[in-house]
Amino acid sequence: MKKWNLYTPEGVQDILFTPCAFKRELESKIRNAFRLNGYMELETPTIEFYDVFAGDSGLMRQESMYKFCDSKGRLLVLRPDITVPVARIAATKLKDKDFPVKCFYIGNTFSFDELGGGKQNEFTQAGCEILGANSPEADAEVVAMAINTIKATGIEEFQIDIGQVDFFKGLMEESGLKKDEIEEVRELIDLKDFVGVEQVMDRHNVKTELKTLILDLPKLFGSKDILETINYNHIGKRAANALDNIKTILDILADRNLDKYVSIDLGMVQSMNYYTGIVFRGYTYGVGFPILSGGRYDTLVSKFGRNLGATGFSMGINMVMMALERQKKLSNPVKEGCFISYEEGARKKALEYCQKLIDKGIPAQIDFMLKGVDEGIEYAQRKGLNSFVYFYTDGSRKEISL
Amino acid sequence: MRYITIALSKGRLTELSIDLLEGAGLDCSELKSNSRKLILSDHKNKVRFFLAKPADVPVYVEYGAADIGIVGKDTLLEEGRDLYEVLNLGFAKCKMCVAGPKALEGCMDTVQISRVATKYPEIARMYFRRKRKESVEIIKLSGSVELAPLVGLSDVIVDLVETGRTLKENGLVVLDHIADISARMVVNRVSMKMENERITKLIQAIRAQLK
Repeated sequence: MKKWNLYTPEGVQDILFTPCAFKRELESKIRNAFRLNGYMELETPTIEFYDVFAGDSGLMRQESMYKFCDSKGRLLVLRPDITVPVARIAATKLKDKDFPVKCFYIGNTFSFDELGGGKQNEFTQAGCEILGANSPEADAEVVAMAINTIKATGIEEFQIDIGQVDFFKGLMEESGLKKDEIEEVRELIDLKDFVGVEQVMDRHNVKTELKTLILDLPKLFGSKDILETINYNHIGKRAANALDNIKTILDILADRNLDKYVSIDLGMVQSMNYYTGIVFRGYTYGVGFPILSGGRYDTLVSKFGRNLGATGFSMGINMVMMALERQKKLSNPVKEGCFISYEEGARKKALEYCQKLIDKGIPAQIDFMLKGVDEGIEYAQRKGLNSFVYFYTDGSRKEISL
Repeated sequence: MRYITIALSKGRLTELSIDLLEGAGLDCSELKSNSRKLILSDHKNKVRFFLAKPADVPVYVEYGAADIGIVGKDTLLEEGRDLYEVLNLGFAKCKMCVAGPKALEGCMDTVQISRVATKYPEIARMYFRRKRKESVEIIKLSGSVELAPLVGLSDVIVDLVETGRTLKENGLVVLDHIADISARMVVNRVSMKMENERITKLIQAIRAQLK
């Protein structure tokens, strides 16, 4: 039998010193950004009942979840995301007078999806939700928070694409296509497969103007001018409302001077059964996957028994770290800290000096190998410290900056 | 300006792909020079090319290691990657088919298939699961798939059919048509957004040659 005790399972990893320090710093920047904007942090359990994530309305496929049983034989999962647990909390733990609630989380999530390109089976997500607010102002607030969060990480070149799932749903209502045909068109538009969309639409008798618009959907992304090219006369009420909703949100973002980061993608039709209003994704150079995604999900909370509008996003910390690394923005650790060693008999003095530095907030560490000045200097350099102090028995000391 | 990276499929798609890229105004001389270099460049237009095994092209593009790829629809269906499929380039046309002994012709609706040999296990699995609602045993082979039903390894095969000559000479017939195959241009989802202008221009320049 092969011994597995030397290995970690697929898709999880140890994060050692420098990257770990960098990750913590990144998380604290993000945490700070959320707090500054009035979001309250919460923590949810790593383990949840399978039923929380199961069913049609979730994003989670059965086969992508880590499953096991509790002592009563009930099915448990390692949480594949944190938005769904937050929806559970919103429906069951919060009181009516609490709303609206602005909350955020930073935590690890787990899924069996394909590895590679920075994707792991265990990954850290940071995200926020606004619960109990149905206004476009709340949606704009969440998009703005997404932009501010990306900026806080140090990524400068990025883009947020905004879509509206009701636009597609509205067009499909008008077209009279059947449910499975709609799903086929949705998949093709999602792939930007122009030819495929045309083949499906040719099988149906749809009004010319509407058909042209549906065929154009995969192309309807870019600057916000795209919204002006759409003629309201042929699209029906639901799609028209969706367009108005996007325009209002863009206006609010313009007032926040954030419109330069935003572009439009009306062909963004992924995860349609989860989102109910605007959807958005954040992109940057260096990684082939979005670094964040979010949107409005007004039906998710009702799955847990309370009718409540909700909107939010989550960001993949591992993706962000990879982007920063590829963009050469991972800062080198600062040389900092003092290494203190001593000759026999000077121990008390050395220890007192070390504690004094620590009390002042200067990183300091005491030698416990005691092999003399040269070895001490060598150690301090190896550990990235910037000074060395040696205490002699006669009470004198030698200070060296490194 | 950043370099845009294009992954080309090594093999029968290579030359036609190069023709299209040249027609779109890219300098492919380094690419055609039989160099041993793995990554070849057009420095003027800031474009890099590399050749990869067809099945790897969608992988490079999905992860963003290449922004654009040129690859057959068969590979795309088999790999099932999350990409934008922006152009049907029209060349390397053929069909993905179910084929088998002549005895099965016309009675596909009544027989139960239990074993299928193919180079495309995912495509075969999807077809039998979705269209025929059958759980079949898939036997993955690497070539000469037509042999399988002849020697009793499988009932039928799922394979690309271009002219149908190999099938005919071995007494096999096409039993069902799964999909039309041809070369496609695919784009990474993030690149499409971050380099929208340059990639759209290239797509248009290539589309113009297809008409």
